[in-house]
Amino acid sequence: MKVIDFYSKRWIFFGIALATIVVGIIAGFVNGVELDIYFKGGSILKYNYVGNVDANKAADIASNIVGRAVSTQITTELSSGEKRLIINISGNYGLDAKLQKELDEALKGAFPGADLKLSESSMVEPFFGRMFLRNGIMALLIASFFVVIYVWIRFRKIGGLSAGIMALIALLFDIIVVFITHIIFRIPIGDSFVAVALTIIGYSINDTIVVYDRIRENRKLYPKLAIEEVTNLSITQSMTRSINTSVAVFISVTVVYILAFANSIEAVQGFALPMAMGTIAGCFSSLCIAENLWVMWNKREAKA
Amino acid sequence: MRGRKITFFIVLAIALVMTYTALYGINITWWGALEVKIAGAPDIRFGIDIRGGVDAVFEPADLDRAPTAEELDAARSVIETRLDQQNILDREVTVDKQNGYIIVRFPWKADETEFDPESAIAELGETAMLTFRDEEGNILLEGSHVKNSTVQMDSRYGKYVVALEFDEEGTKLFSEATERLVGEVINIYMDDTLIQSAVVREHISTGEAMIDGMSGLEEAKALSDKINAGALPFSMVTKNHSTISPTLGSGALDIMVMAGGIAFIIICILLIIYYRLPGFVACISLLIQISGQLLAIAIPQITLTLTGIAGIILSIGMGVDANIIISERISEEIKAGKTLGAAISAGFKNAFSSVFDGNITVLIVAVALWRFGSGSVLSFAYSLFTGIIFNFVAGVTASRLMIRSLSQYEFLRNPKLYTCLSRRVTL
Repeated sequence: MKVIDFYSKRWIFFGIALATIVVGIIAGFVNGVELDIYFKGGSILKYNYVGNVDANKAADIASNIVGRAVSTQITTELSSGEKRLIINISGNYGLDAKLQKELDEALKGAFPGADLKLSESSMVEPFFGRMFLRNGIMALLIASFFVVIYVWIRFRKIGGLSAGIMALIALLFDIIVVFITHIIFRIPIGDSFVAVALTIIGYSINDTIVVYDRIRENRKLYPKLAIEEVTNLSITQSMTRSINTSVAVFISVTVVYILAFANSIEAVQGFALPMAMGTIAGCFSSLCIAENLWVMWNKREAKA
Repeated sequence: MRGRKITFFIVLAIALVMTYTALYGINITWWGALEVKIAGAPDIRFGIDIRGGVDAVFEPADLDRAPTAEELDAARSVIETRLDQQNILDREVTVDKQNGYIIVRFPWKADETEFDPESAIAELGETAMLTFRDEEGNILLEGSHVKNSTVQMDSRYGKYVVALEFDEEGTKLFSEATERLVGEVINIYMDDTLIQSAVVREHISTGEAMIDGMSGLEEAKALSDKINAGALPFSMVTKNHSTISPTLGSGALDIMVMAGGIAFIIICILLIIYYRLPGFVACISLLIQISGQLLAIAIPQITLTLTGIAGIILSIGMGVDANIIISERISEEIKAGKTLGAAISAGFKNAFSSVFDGNITVLIVAVALWRFGSGSVLSFAYSLFTGIIFNFVAGVTASRLMIRSLSQYEFLRNPKLYTCLSRRVTL
């Protein structure tokens, strides 16, 4: 087996990572970061209807009842031809259920022939989204702390603390990729972002740890090899496995995406696409970023 | 340790039984006496985000202090009574005492096409009208006259009772009523729902009354909460609520199930082509892992949300990974020139520490999320946690038992069956 020299190509890998982040930042400026109503708060109602509905009239009715500016929009589902009236109420806070009921009755009264049916509604107080986000981030920070401690102890023979910290930096890249996917494909950052980010974190940390494990093993087998050579060997040995697992996960998630796309289930699409991208990122960062950073760190320590 | 030939078939049988149970559930009665019932996939409780429904967070309206735990319990009982009234029995009502709000979730009913969620939730938070009435329905006194209602233990009979304490006017009204109604019944209503009937045994003028006849602590607590609701100083409003239509819900579910099936078949084909015998074994141990995980969700009736499904996807990925690591390691050992038996032993031994560290690390993440996360993160943490436990059982133990056992068969002793594709090519 030919050992691939990952370490000497490290600047290429870091360059790819940085370029990805730069593309992401540019996309962020072009597309803007769209926060899901779940995080920013607000009120949206979606009605299915038949026949004709005057969107402006609906906006006026709604605005009169809720006392806030209201914008409306009409969309047609491509696959089913279903028509939908979307009512977006301004302001980043929810709407009282009683007011919503009033609004519902007024709209049905104004368009009796349209057979308006509420298909979705979200009334969100920003407080809840923020609390959810805060708890989630707290949980992740605590998890990261314990992961580093665990890696520190289990991999103390190869300088566990730096290994743990570099693994976290690689994870950060994965989360950024998931984030960028949301921005480029204009998927609102919401509940599913959290789920995908968590999945990719779990998946990528596992991937990285397995490579570290190989380094630890090879260190024992070949104590005379230089640190970058051991690392190159270990990554080469783990590469097939890492790629095969990623391919398996990528294919599964792609199947989910294709089926969701064909059936226009937005919620699932918005979940599968970033997960597919995150899988590639996780594989890349585990093989090309975490270990190279760790080697650089250790070489610097050795010099000092 | 040498494997026994039969072991493979035992593990296979376990895998098939678990898969069947996970897919369909088990419901058998033996001789009419012994009943075995195990919940499977059809009984899984899906979250509102999957099957559609209503999710609402109620908080006290215009209250300048945090509500007390008792007040929240009382408010909860109001909401529950009204849900009963609307015949919404399949629901989750959770009280967050720390932050002072109540979360109500209920799914769309399968048979209901004209479900009107706004009106269902609009009324839930209204202040309850609690009344004490005589048999003709005349209102004797109102819930606001009840100063306090508590559960007490009646030491004479060792039974739980609900003790009421009236305010000044309540004492007067109650005294008048009980004087007139000795031997008759007083009914307690919340809104228009009868929540309790009690027979007046004697004239009570002290402003303190006791209601007995409770079956236990739970019933007494429920009644006491409801009576306290009558004196609740606030109503509950919800400005944070969402409705998801069932078509989106069940459609999404069917697609996910189909996608899962297709993905599983593709993964199995790839594993078998690439890793041959260990790949085939991996498919069986994945069956154990996935069905075990589904059972761990179905049996305790944990609500499965989209994030929970993300957790399942991650743990299946981890399961595939564990099997791939093992297969790769066995293949490497064979290429290094070891005999089959030695290669299998060394392969598992070397793979174990990787699989162990990877899984424990992710387990740490799962536990931290479970302990410190909230909302949909919890569903993710639970799926992930159970998935990793089954990964240890299936990916590590079951795979080893099966490969050891199969390697005892003469026709399965060709080392090529244990070498992965890339190495077969270079060999």
